[in-house]
Amino acid sequence: MGDFDAIDSLLAAVGPEAGLPARGVRRELREQARLSKAQVARALGVSPSTVAGWEDTRDPSGEIRTRYAYLLDGLAAKFAVEVQEKPEPEAVQEPEPVQEPAAADDASPAYDASTAGAGEGDDVESLAVPEPCVLCGQPAGSRVAGFAQHLDPADCHTVTAPGPGPAPASEAAEPVARQEGPPRGPRPSGRSQGPAGRAFQEPSGPADLIGQAVRAALAEHEGDMEAATAALLKRAIPDAMRLLDETRKGARYDIVAHPWIPDILKKQTSRGADQIWEARPKWTRHELPPGRHEVTALDINGAYLSALKTHLPLGQLEHSAGLAHDRRRAGVHLITPPAWEHEAVLPNPIGQRDEPGPLWVTEPTLRLLLRLSGPKYGLCAPPEIHESYTSGATENLLEKFRVALKDARDAAITENDEVTLEYVKAMYSKFVSTMGESNYNRELYRPDWMHIIRSQAFANLWMKALKAHDEGLAVVRAMGTDELHVIGDWRRVFAEGRGVTEVKVKDAYTAAIGTGEEE
Amino acid sequence: MPQKNIDFGKYGARGLKGSEAVARKLDELAGGITTPVTARRGLMARLHYLTRTAHARRAARDAGLTVTDRTLKAWLDGGRRPSKASLDRIEQAYRSVRRQNVARHLLRRLNASGGTRVEIHPLNQSQVPRPLQRVVEYRTMNVRRWDRIVAAWAAGDYQGLDDAWTDTIVDLGSQWGQYEYVTNVGFAA
Repeated sequence: MGDFDAIDSLLAAVGPEAGLPARGVRRELREQARLSKAQVARALGVSPSTVAGWEDTRDPSGEIRTRYAYLLDGLAAKFAVEVQEKPEPEAVQEPEPVQEPAAADDASPAYDASTAGAGEGDDVESLAVPEPCVLCGQPAGSRVAGFAQHLDPADCHTVTAPGPGPAPASEAAEPVARQEGPPRGPRPSGRSQGPAGRAFQEPSGPADLIGQAVRAALAEHEGDMEAATAALLKRAIPDAMRLLDETRKGARYDIVAHPWIPDILKKQTSRGADQIWEARPKWTRHELPPGRHEVTALDINGAYLSALKTHLPLGQLEHSAGLAHDRRRAGVHLITPPAWEHEAVLPNPIGQRDEPGPLWVTEPTLRLLLRLSGPKYGLCAPPEIHESYTSGATENLLEKFRVALKDARDAAITENDEVTLEYVKAMYSKFVSTMGESNYNRELYRPDWMHIIRSQAFANLWMKALKAHDEGLAVVRAMGTDELHVIGDWRRVFAEGRGVTEVKVKDAYTAAIGTGEEE
Repeated sequence: MPQKNIDFGKYGARGLKGSEAVARKLDELAGGITTPVTARRGLMARLHYLTRTAHARRAARDAGLTVTDRTLKAWLDGGRRPSKASLDRIEQAYRSVRRQNVARHLLRRLNASGGTRVEIHPLNQSQVPRPLQRVVEYRTMNVRRWDRIVAAWAAGDYQGLDDAWTDTIVDLGSQWGQYEYVTNVGFAA
């Protein structure tokens, strides 16, 4: 038998190449699953640029092709409904001659609609790319309980399989092993049963510290909401630090709380400021479009909470001069900002600066400028970097902390729980404002993080202004961390609500040309 | 102790004694008057601090401000301005009295709830030739008892503080000698 096994595996290896969906569909599938190219590449053992190539102009071959097809199939099965809506001109590129003309149209909506009832409660999935039927070996467009097969016995050429379900026939067992086993990898049937990649993993969050604190405070004050809120606000900073410690358990990086700090980040006098420019927007459009307009003042929800996701330097800041920007590092940079020529319609990304010349900006501002100077936007010249204080950076340092707070906030909003809402708000806002040189929080002495997080909030607001502008709204004003005034139908650009990705209306007023604005 | 550095900085390493960094940090935590003594506001604030009570006057005298009451009164009234040497003495006296006054409170905070976590940032090797550079990592340790450290700091006994700190960092393990000199020692109270 050993000889035949070898021949079988050889035959399987030279068998038909796995079919792949069209290139555009490949990318859509991946993006629908919110997988990055890097994640896919890691799973397949290739480089991210190769994956980009497959989604653009090239096709994989050999064993990689089979594995890629396997991944795409799994994704297609997940998003069967969306995939069915898209025409797939290239979907059928089997070198094997198709004996059954109907089989080529397996993925068409009509076919699936007709077969949807035939599943009889089984786990029926439709495939983006036909796979060999486990019973007859011909391309089949659906999979039942993990086995690709024809749903209609008339399509199936194997006479022994009477109906749809997994065939118990003894002859069927061998084709399963031969046709499906070798080219498909180790999990022939389990492909769509559960999440495989890191992207699908459930976050293992910290214990419900926030909920416990709120319940304890309410119990202590016997349900008196105001007293409980006041008590919670008082302990917001130590509680935030405790939550931070909790979320960093088992994490890759330590929180370095007391590094050496360069002089530019130290306050000059007890009440003075340091030399960092945070690029706070404070911009009002000079000339409105002609006519009278309904201006809506939008408020970005939880701006500082969202800004906790930013590139934070991990350790001690190290000085460098004359180097180009390194995206693996973050810190503060002395730059000469580029000239800004869109002042009439968009705020300057470095904020309302009166003095010319070089200035110290933080990582988010620099990244925003670099992004805007890139080929995609081309709004300004690239900034000139003179000096930097940077350290190796990660975007995930406060990520669990942020997600814990965001989840608590979302839950509080749905349950209309004002106490938790206030408590969470105090936690993140006070955490950001006292993480520098403040005496209210001595556990953490990172003025660089404070500036970077604030700048990130401003950069986020700026990008929202750009989005509004690109979508045809007239931006009238961008102020502070979370205020954006626009003219036009903003509801088609931003979602309204209280979530962190949504905006809420702060105010609406009428403005006319010449008067600037009237409240 | 064999791990101690004999000729620190011979190959270009830069840093300061760990005990000195601790003293700086403790001074920072102790806080105090930030206006310099050369400004009238700063001078007056220090003189008031040093003369408010009989106990404060005694402490100031012990700390080296050995001037007559008449002179102090003249300084406080603004009739006379202290000489440069006197200004230095006032500053020194203020520093040491402040340390003594804050020490008890600071010690309680540092010793509370199982001690204080200390971050030790290693010395700066950027000027050391490549082949001579060593991997010196950022370390953290928990210091449970601060009594000797704070007592030496409050008394202005730098040798005592250095000894106390050295005895503390021995807990880092056999490589503690690499942390005799540091760029920064960070802790909160």
